[in-house]
Amino acid sequence: MATQAAFMPGAKVETLTFWGTVASWLTTVDHKRIGILYGSSAFIFFLVGGIEALIMRLQLARPDNTLVGAERFNELFTMHGTTMIFLAVMPLSAAFFNYMIPLMIGARDVAFPRLNALSYWIFLSGALFLNSSWLFGLAPDGGWFGYANLTTSQFSPRHTIDFWMFGLQILGISSMLAGFNFLVTIINMRAPGMTLMRMPVFIWMSFVTQFLLVLAFPAITVALILLMFDRFFGTLFYAPAAGADPLLWQHLFWIFGHPEVYILILPAMGIVSEVLPTFARKPLFGAPVVIYSGIMIGFFGFGVWSHHMFSVGMGPVADAAFSVSTMLIAVPTGVKILNWIGTLWGGSIRFRTPLYFALGFIAMFTMGGLSGIMHASPPVDLQQTDSYFVVAHFHYVLFGGSIFGLFGGIYYWWPKITGKMLDERLGLWHFWLMMIGFNVTFFPQHYLGLIGMPRRIYTYAGDLGWNFWNLVSTIGAFLIAVSLLFFIVNAFRSLRSGAVASNDPWDGRTLEWAIPSPPPVYNFARVPLVQDRDDFWLQKYGDGHGAAPRPKPAPVTAAEIAAIHMPSASHWPIVLAIALAVMISGLLISMYQVIVGGLATLYLMYKFAVELHRPPAGHGH
Amino acid sequence: MADPHAAAQHAPEGEHASVKTYVNVAIALALITAMEVATLYIPGIPNALLVSSLLVMSAIKFFLVVGFFMHLRYDHPILRALFVGPLIIAILIILAVMALFSAFVLLPRVVL
Amino acid sequence: MADHAVAHAVHDPNIGNTGLDNRKMGMWAFLGSDCMFFGSLIGTYLAYKGKSISGPLPHQVFDIPLTSYSAALLLASSLTMVLALAALQRNRVKVAARWLFVTALMGAHFVLNQVYEFTTFVLHDGLTLSTSLFGSTFFVLTGFHGAHVTGGVIWLLILVGLAMRGQLDARDYTKVEIAGLYWHFVDIVWIAIFTIIYLIP
Repeated sequence: MATQAAFMPGAKVETLTFWGTVASWLTTVDHKRIGILYGSSAFIFFLVGGIEALIMRLQLARPDNTLVGAERFNELFTMHGTTMIFLAVMPLSAAFFNYMIPLMIGARDVAFPRLNALSYWIFLSGALFLNSSWLFGLAPDGGWFGYANLTTSQFSPRHTIDFWMFGLQILGISSMLAGFNFLVTIINMRAPGMTLMRMPVFIWMSFVTQFLLVLAFPAITVALILLMFDRFFGTLFYAPAAGADPLLWQHLFWIFGHPEVYILILPAMGIVSEVLPTFARKPLFGAPVVIYSGIMIGFFGFGVWSHHMFSVGMGPVADAAFSVSTMLIAVPTGVKILNWIGTLWGGSIRFRTPLYFALGFIAMFTMGGLSGIMHASPPVDLQQTDSYFVVAHFHYVLFGGSIFGLFGGIYYWWPKITGKMLDERLGLWHFWLMMIGFNVTFFPQHYLGLIGMPRRIYTYAGDLGWNFWNLVSTIGAFLIAVSLLFFIVNAFRSLRSGAVASNDPWDGRTLEWAIPSPPPVYNFARVPLVQDRDDFWLQKYGDGHGAAPRPKPAPVTAAEIAAIHMPSASHWPIVLAIALAVMISGLLISMYQVIVGGLATLYLMYKFAVELHRPPAGHGH
Repeated sequence: MADPHAAAQHAPEGEHASVKTYVNVAIALALITAMEVATLYIPGIPNALLVSSLLVMSAIKFFLVVGFFMHLRYDHPILRALFVGPLIIAILIILAVMALFSAFVLLPRVVL
Repeated sequence: MADHAVAHAVHDPNIGNTGLDNRKMGMWAFLGSDCMFFGSLIGTYLAYKGKSISGPLPHQVFDIPLTSYSAALLLASSLTMVLALAALQRNRVKVAARWLFVTALMGAHFVLNQVYEFTTFVLHDGLTLSTSLFGSTFFVLTGFHGAHVTGGVIWLLILVGLAMRGQLDARDYTKVEIAGLYWHFVDIVWIAIFTIIYLIP
């Protein structure tokens, strides 16, 4: 692609060879390319997780089925959950953080570009490490939540849990590094005039998400470290015979796990908060309130974790406290839904694919929220927990919510990222088939849960009254798969021969629509000067209260572009990520590998740190 | 950063504590540590008093280091927020975990 | 104001719109996160405190005088750290390097004390990682703190090495400052651990 070569301002335009192109992607520190790397990887793992789901649904389509056995089924639901959460939804959100945050705050890159690249390569190595377990017949089988002491050596002697444990640690490092990066970027790299309250709501939701990432992951890091010590060094953290309490794992895990679900949903909520105003041609209704609600959800999200543990016997005081906090957190969530509806009300609505997905998000997430509020009551939850009712609930919020929202973002920002338009008709086929397929798959699961079907069972007897709706659910799953084919075809066609996208195909409101599609490597030829929220819209149209549209600025000169200095590519991120993976996987292979990998990691950290310490004059910064 | 003026440009936001202040803080820290250890050996001291005074003394040390050595007293409020917010969340979670595991003598485990 | 902010960005790309250095801000964010990490470990220790069903008890094995000495070491090392930074700010690189080296030495001494303590527990007191809940929680909590100190010592020694090669001066104030922040953090975690684990009965 000729555009790839025109990166450095003033550089000679040369087309790279195939290997040159590969090398440039492997050493990129450009947030836009890193975003594309995250997005493509995430989509592939989404398909992997989807296949795992389809196999499970095929097994459950009929009673007493023999497609897969119990052990394999354990592996499937463990990997499906782990993959969808850590390898699909989170990196898909990360793709948007990477690509869009600098653009929407008027910056040229993130605060730490090389660290950004490092985050991606560590993510990829963690994802590959985790999935390599399939090749060794050691796929994790302890559930995505790995409850101890099922996962201790006594009950899980094989290395399956170790793949899960170390995989998550690697992925955690990646997420936290990215979290620090985006926190500093959002606080410290905004364009002049962009105060915090003038930031787009997507940036705000991403901002809260970064806090959740850096504060929640340490808890699971500790939970996993304790498990690793139990499994490898004979400690007693999860050993009831020594007086330990298995609830320790559950508490530490859910102290992470609950903020994690907000990590999964807030970015999608942010996307919806951008899409609705654009396609309703109206500002977000009550933007400050939506922002404060997001902050409250993030903060109070740390106070509800034991609602995942209502059936373990914590006692009435704990149950009541967490029940109340859980019900309270529904308030800011509901407020946001009302504000989204308020945005649409009275708007001049253009129905395009991104809007359909945003509307789908609102409807499906609300349904998921309703089943969620039912779970908030401990006595009610005692029947629902560990049944298919919970499976229905979280798929409504995670698929109907996060995935729909993320697809909305994909359709919305595709023109900006690729410079091409997606086909509307194919988009609508994707949307409607996915909407119908999703509901056919998961709505009956509410009923199945209420009539007693438990989670995580690999088969069931034919005389329990579960047969019909399980079959229906499986059909729905395949409908979802078909809908994805429409998306994949759409994507390929668009990249190959789609209509060229202008800077601002949707008549948008935020800064990313002010620059070319795709943006040049330096994003903004001139750093924007921001005067209000939705500044780009105001530039175009004025505010209807006396502020006129602003005149087009003088064209950018070549001298201005030549003065822009972008960070240079670096090979240290990928090399360091590989060393880290070698060290950690050595824990399953040999101590020598751990030592060699560990020394290499330390050495490479040093090289990474001093790469820019005393750059030759005129070089990087 | 090939900029010889960077040091001056870098002059920290707000005033800087002097070397004298640092030494005074260090002396205070040493004294408080000595007091903490001494408190342990006071004969017959009621447990509640022992625990609360130790916590207060260590909190004072904690904030002396954070405020002066780490310069947070003179720094931009946003840095304070970045540290104190998570610190508060961490302390609240420790307290919640202690309650949930009946680590407080005052809140014995309630059995269903 | 906007022009000033733009001028700043061109002048030093590490300084952002708050006037703060990105790296310093990043380090504070990391330290906030590390509070949660140690908070989880301390919470675990407290959850299991007093619940071991066998093995030596804390007050039977703790050597308060030694541990108090270690605590004093770290506190003193925080002083030497700020002295190093103050010297660097005045571009007195050799003085700064010496203070950094002293800081690293004190940190290394702390770690050696800890190794001695751990060895005594294992060999004389029969307290290992797998003896009891106390053994598990104590060694993991203090061990991870010790690992943090060790990382800090290596970091400081690298800075000393750079200084000795003429590759560290007042321009690198922020880099040394963030090493200092990390070092002080490790000190305040010890303040918490020393009180909660060793002193409080």
